[in-house]
Amino acid sequence: MSRYRIPGMGRVDPARTVRFTFDGRSYTGLRGDTVASALLAHGVHLMGRSFKYHRPRGPVTAGSEEPNALIGTSRGPGRFEPNTRATVQELREGLVAESQNKWPSLKFDIGAVNDRAYMLFSAGFYYKTFMWPRSFWDRVYEPFIRAAAGLGKSPTEADPDSYASRNLHTDVLVIGGGAAGLQAALVAAKSGARVVLVDENPEMGGSLLSDPSVRIDGQGAWAWLADRVAQLRAAGVTLMTRTTAIGYYHQNFVGLVERVADHLDRPPQGAPRERMWHVRARQVVLAQGALEKPLVFDGNDRPGVMLAGAAQTYLNRYGVKVGDIAAVVTSHDSAWYAAFDLADAGARVAAIADTRDRVRQDLVDAARRRGIEVLAGHTATATSGRLRVRSVRVNPVRDGKVGPGREIACDVLLICGGWTPSLHLFSHTKGSLAWDADNRTFLPDRTTEACQIAGAGRGLWGYGPVLEDGMRAGLAAAEALGRTGTPAGAGVEGDRPGTGVTQKELPTDRSAGKAKAFVDYQNDVTAKDIRLAVREGMRSIEHVKRYTTNGMATDQGKMSNINGLMIAADALAKEPPQVGLTTFRPPYTPTSFGAFVGYHKGATFELTRRTPIDPWAEAQGAAFEPVSLWRRAWYFPRAGEDMHAAVARECRMTRASAGMFDASTLGKIEVAGPDATEFMNRMYTNPWTKLAPGRCRYGLLLGEDGFIRDDGVIGRLAQDLFHVTTTTGGAARVLNMMEDYLQTEWPDLDVWLTSTTEQWATVAVNGPNARKVLAPLVEGQDLSDEAFPHMSVAQCTVAGFPARLFRISFTGELGFEINVPARHGLALWTAIHAAGQPYDICPYGTETMHVLRAEKGYIIVGQDTDGTVTPQDAGLDWAIGKAKKDFVGKRSLQRPDIVAPNRKQLVGLLTEDGTRLQEGAQIVLDPNQTLPMTMAGHVTSSYDSVALGRPIAMAVIAGGHGRMGETVHIPMPNGTVRATITSTNFYDPAGERLKA
Amino acid sequence: MTAQRHDFDAAPFRLEELPWSPRFSLRVRPQNRAALEGALGLTLPARIGERSMTGGTEVLCLGPDEWTVLVPESGRDALVDAGARIYAQTPHSLVEISDREITLRLSGPQALTALTAGCPRDVEALQTGRAARTLFDSATVILWRDGADSFRMDVWRSFLPHVRAILDKVAAELKSGL
Repeated sequence: MSRYRIPGMGRVDPARTVRFTFDGRSYTGLRGDTVASALLAHGVHLMGRSFKYHRPRGPVTAGSEEPNALIGTSRGPGRFEPNTRATVQELREGLVAESQNKWPSLKFDIGAVNDRAYMLFSAGFYYKTFMWPRSFWDRVYEPFIRAAAGLGKSPTEADPDSYASRNLHTDVLVIGGGAAGLQAALVAAKSGARVVLVDENPEMGGSLLSDPSVRIDGQGAWAWLADRVAQLRAAGVTLMTRTTAIGYYHQNFVGLVERVADHLDRPPQGAPRERMWHVRARQVVLAQGALEKPLVFDGNDRPGVMLAGAAQTYLNRYGVKVGDIAAVVTSHDSAWYAAFDLADAGARVAAIADTRDRVRQDLVDAARRRGIEVLAGHTATATSGRLRVRSVRVNPVRDGKVGPGREIACDVLLICGGWTPSLHLFSHTKGSLAWDADNRTFLPDRTTEACQIAGAGRGLWGYGPVLEDGMRAGLAAAEALGRTGTPAGAGVEGDRPGTGVTQKELPTDRSAGKAKAFVDYQNDVTAKDIRLAVREGMRSIEHVKRYTTNGMATDQGKMSNINGLMIAADALAKEPPQVGLTTFRPPYTPTSFGAFVGYHKGATFELTRRTPIDPWAEAQGAAFEPVSLWRRAWYFPRAGEDMHAAVARECRMTRASAGMFDASTLGKIEVAGPDATEFMNRMYTNPWTKLAPGRCRYGLLLGEDGFIRDDGVIGRLAQDLFHVTTTTGGAARVLNMMEDYLQTEWPDLDVWLTSTTEQWATVAVNGPNARKVLAPLVEGQDLSDEAFPHMSVAQCTVAGFPARLFRISFTGELGFEINVPARHGLALWTAIHAAGQPYDICPYGTETMHVLRAEKGYIIVGQDTDGTVTPQDAGLDWAIGKAKKDFVGKRSLQRPDIVAPNRKQLVGLLTEDGTRLQEGAQIVLDPNQTLPMTMAGHVTSSYDSVALGRPIAMAVIAGGHGRMGETVHIPMPNGTVRATITSTNFYDPAGERLKA
Repeated sequence: MTAQRHDFDAAPFRLEELPWSPRFSLRVRPQNRAALEGALGLTLPARIGERSMTGGTEVLCLGPDEWTVLVPESGRDALVDAGARIYAQTPHSLVEISDREITLRLSGPQALTALTAGCPRDVEALQTGRAARTLFDSATVILWRDGADSFRMDVWRSFLPHVRAILDKVAAELKSGL
């Protein structure tokens, strides 16, 4: 048994020891311990160094609000986690823990020189110290700050653990499994509601776990607790422990993180480390309790100084006495009970110093019975001890005057500045807070959500009132759900009621300017810093926070916000609500990235869509590129080919004979109904009335603003039926836009839209031999130019599959696109590939497709357009049905800025020296103008063209259509390049090859 | 949840990919619904999420004017022909989407739990004999509940590998018993 463990106390299992190491030294703890309780059982309080001054620190709490005892934990390669709270991490066999923010060792840390130089590190020191010289910022100050900043080491290896997520719907979600939450959950469940009860601790009970002497319904607190939990299970309540409610969002959407495996010695195969729960609850009951506040005085941060409630928890829950000789400084009754528990367990309590002049007589009597000296009306003014507290200096305060100090020897100092209702989740919802002037605390006021608040979380104290309030909240939740609850009272004996006063920093007889009286332990913010911030002009608590960094550490000011506010309000001589309270934001406690990522790592990092032909491309060793959510074959390298060589070959073979391309990702929409033509006329710029069934047309879609949104070839299959194609990335957007117009503007039209993108697999065959490749496979359609000219569509059979066959081209060559039901896509592809062997048919990817279309000047929406390009700008005025009375975007095409002469227009560019331009490169008309130069436009597409034997580019240039033949200048990495403005139709401008 | 009992040898749920079968998207104005029902020999439920079964043909109402029709292969051509015959009097849209989605069947005691890993909707509240459009992870799906422990999920073809990969991860997780 370790030195400070008390046999027979605590909820740990004395029969099961657990071995772990801390900073390389082996220790044993008991099953049920946290790292902090196990170390404290060995008398180890020193667990870390503070962030700024590197002061030695020990745990000040026993819970998730811990600011000091942050450690690195590890479970083998990739499983290192910095900043784990030692007060939360449960002991597991073989746990490797290490302290942080120290060098070379925790006991002797070079960085502690900062503590001696603390006068240099006052509030706002960053802003004051690093101002000049200006040139020092990049090379000296910033690297120095970056090296010194941060707490803990970031992991460097990939995290091998898995993470999970779940959605959960429930009638009532109760957050907090303490006295109030247990009652609320039981009452709600007995009304017939579905109830989920969550608590961040490994077991339910909240503060009852630390108060076993209280009796409820004639039972000891722990027996009552076990009974209540059994009743909850029997009532069908879902009980979730180790589960933290991290955020409370709109419409009762609450995020929970469940710690699934970190406490296990050896997690089973496949177990996730953590699981994020997305909960949608009809009613939420917040029963999160209250957080104990420290008192602010010089030296209130030495190892061994801890909250009284924490000491009570270590004693009762873990059977650990935090020291042999305790002293207590408090402004709240609760610390008295902690002192009594310690004294009763065999520790010596030297004295209780209370800041209040009058303390309840029963407490004073109970202290005296135990031989504890009572010092009412006292302040604490200093502590001594380097790596562990050795004494506290207390002084009487009479009529505002601080009397002479007196040292009280102790090896642990328990402090309590009262309790702050945990308002975090409530505040996430933007619920308003009310200032309780009597008790000098903020309480939840009006809620914007279907939410009840119960217990200490709304300022109540003592088990009797809290249990009563939990029942009330449960009844209210049931009633809000239209159910009837039955009251379930609980009679409390030996309750521990309590009140207290709210303090600013404690008065002292010494120089307040030299006091290291910490408000925020984690960010090393002192009372003096906050007063300095006010003196330097900060008026709002938001400014004070940012100037001093009070409350900005990972504990988000759980311990420091209210104390900081009290001091700032005092300095400003205002009431706290006039100074404000900083905003609480999710997550409630630090949350791993893994929990947010969930399943989205590795192969499921992001949804990747694949075509039916994708397996063939993969087997051929294709390179892929992402296009919206799809992965598409980019090019098909042969042995020894790099991308450049592969693309050049694919272009050459396609133009020489035949190429084939997987176009399955193109968006497809079936537009059907008696008003299909009218609908098409209204949506697209082109006229559709006279397009005969069996013919296709290039369609251009604008937004209401007149700018190009999408394009694609549209086939008319029958009088009332169009097969619309969209760009790959535009498929969903275009369908949404069409549905939007149809449902909101034109509900009178008898036309229906169906997405058929995935119904069809699409193979494009292009090249002078395309017809010869395809003809043997086609039944039911004559492919000759006379019977099936360019821009035709037919329903026939290809390779034995029912098909929609288009004669269209996105390459400038004779081209066909064959659509077959998607399950036949791969078979169609292989059939065409086999039929094309006599013609050396070449499978090509998206890069070759881009080059071939650029040689023809065909635009790619989103590459050559950017949402500000009109049909005229793109040279597509021919696609506008001039006689049509309306279409989406038509009126905008008359706007003065749209018809202005010097708009950026799409043109071709040929460089004089054969340089291939960079896409996105800026263009100037006169390279000799003074800086800053006027940019005339930029390059949108640029490729090496095999067919032309030189690089080609497309660009948007101001007034470009009127500048044919002019020279422009493009700055490139190796100097400015001269280029000539040309047409975008670089190859076969007469279009003879299409008609083959 | 940690309290879940588990048989370590069994898969936590059974996952099958159902064979191809004809499927149509049917659209018609609500006032023409009755006329079309007669002509096509189908029952078109009026409430979203409701299903009907006539002969071997199953119909799901997905919107005020939208139904999904699952027809046996033997009845496919007859349905298309009947639609063509009535079109002039009762305009509608009958688009074949047999290849657009692939259907998975999930069954077994933990099928529902597995679905809650990806579906934000209240799957537990989905009644047997009904269906709903929802998401699984980031894929749009239609979820059919055929029994307390039996579901079908229609997934767009290209999203299927992702959905299956997520379900594989969920299966491993459930198998761990935690």
